Amino acid sequence: MSAKRFNKGVKVSERHGAGEWQAERLSSVMLIPLTVWGLWSGWIMSGAGYDGAMEWFGNPLNALVLAVTLMISLWHMNMGLKVIVDDYIHKPASRNALVGLIAVVCVLLAAVGVFFIVRLALGSAPLPAGFGA
Amino acid sequence: MSISPLPGDASNDPTEDQTGRFVRQPNGRVRPLSPHLQVWRWHVTMASSILVRVSGGALSVGAVFVVLWLMAMAFGPDAYATFTRLMGSPLGLFVWFGLTVAAGVHFANGTRNLIQDTGAGLTPKTADALSWAAIVLGLVIPVLFWVALFATGKVVL
Repeated sequence: MSAKRFNKGVKVSERHGAGEWQAERLSSVMLIPLTVWGLWSGWIMSGAGYDGAMEWFGNPLNALVLAVTLMISLWHMNMGLKVIVDDYIHKPASRNALVGLIAVVCVLLAAVGVFFIVRLALGSAPLPAGFGA
Repeated sequence: MSISPLPGDASNDPTEDQTGRFVRQPNGRVRPLSPHLQVWRWHVTMASSILVRVSGGALSVGAVFVVLWLMAMAFGPDAYATFTRLMGSPLGLFVWFGLTVAAGVHFANGTRNLIQDTGAGLTPKTADALSWAAIVLGLVIPVLFWVALFATGKVVL
């Protein structure tokens, strides 16, 4: 086992704990302005119907920031749910299975979400056009 | 020199503690009740900490709703009309109201966490005040948001 390392009198984590802690904080800080922006966007699109929302997606910046917000949110969500499982599920097999399942769900949501955002930003024809229908 | 009627140095007995509850021990000394799951008084710092986790869990469901919204948009006007009809129903509006409350609570209390992660605001009084502020702000912002949505007619019941 390697010697314990210290930074400003505080023990540096020997494995990956500190990295996870920092990632949680980094994603939280990034989500502060993005959440305010999200609230504003929700305000704009509320009651605006399909045309209003399409107009919003017509601005590439909106689509880009939404994709970034979705990905950071799901990254943050993955870490948060993992911590809950780590805290309460003690049997390694169950814990690993749940953590894996959560990761798969988050990646799927991100992939599907970004796919829809890209189509909307490009003004693609409504689905399932182009998928055999 | 008088002999204390009780064993130990009574002058060292705390007069104030975190739980605010005291018990008279069998030897007559009044001591703070030790923290224990079943006797631990509900405290605002505890509540605000738990609220972060609970609202985070709720927001995970919210992420699925956001992706469903994107899906409805991507499937065109008819799918979107169905989606907005469902989400504009009383139950749908209740769900979205709940999600904005969860977002507000998670946002405000998460920001409190970030402040306290720097080592600031951790003395009992400041921590209490920060927790109350975060809980109240986290509730007031979404409520005002929905009041404005209804007041401007963007959302109707």
